Amino acid sequence: MEKSRPMTKPAEGELVITRIFDAPRELVWKAWTDPEHLMRWWGPKVFTCPHCEIDLRVGGKFLNCMRSSEGQDIWSTGVYREIVPMERIVCTDSFADEKGNVVPATHYGMPDNIPLEMQVTVTFEDLDGKTRMTLRHEGLPAGEMSDSAQQGWSESFDKLAEYLAKA
Amino acid sequence: MPTDLLSNTFAALADPTRRSILERLVYGEASVTELAEPFEMSLPAVSKHLKVLERAGLIERSRQAQWRPCRLQAAPLKDVDEWVERYRSFWEESFDRLDEYLFQLQEEEKTDGEK
Repeated sequence: MEKSRPMTKPAEGELVITRIFDAPRELVWKAWTDPEHLMRWWGPKVFTCPHCEIDLRVGGKFLNCMRSSEGQDIWSTGVYREIVPMERIVCTDSFADEKGNVVPATHYGMPDNIPLEMQVTVTFEDLDGKTRMTLRHEGLPAGEMSDSAQQGWSESFDKLAEYLAKA
Repeated sequence: MPTDLLSNTFAALADPTRRSILERLVYGEASVTELAEPFEMSLPAVSKHLKVLERAGLIERSRQAQWRPCRLQAAPLKDVDEWVERYRSFWEESFDRLDEYLFQLQEEEKTDGEK
């Protein structure tokens, strides 16, 4: 397998990873879109994926859970914005609670500099039986955020207000 | 609130002209006229972009000199880098697993075919 190499220099605030998998495009597509397959690889190596829902249509959502070796569950969700079978998936990406509500990264003790809503674009190209997959992960400016992410914002502000009222 | 500042940073970076302006400033401070040169744009249009960058904390404009040179401020960019790096390891490790899994799947297919 060839190691990741960015094809073009990504802009600030954007991550681009390219990999060539020694597998036909159909199989790589399946690994991304079929929950049974996705659960086998989703997450860093010390994690498992005990839950995955995929509603693969524009406007449909996914809800994934990854579990650390200490048993901490981290949920993420997003909405599919574009689906071209075997070629391209564009979806939003946010941290979530187990019911799929968007939460800020701080909910999981992660730093508050992670954007509330990000966008993930995955493309698949056939290379004579191998597959070149390119992933682009970028932060979304506030103006382009979806309603669910805005909702997450207002909920975290509600919590803050509650906390301040008690203090 | 720091997260708001980060949203401002992303909004500022979303525009290709503003990204080019920042790239130019990596090489040192410059006046509005100098920054406008490579673009087919009026000075007021460039000034507007500079205001967005200034609000996001990405540039600083000197109040001392008459020509008010612009200077790059790197701190907000470091914040952006930090989450990008965090995600890089998430994806790289996931894709290592995907690579192994795809290999396994095809091996299973092969042995199934031989049966």
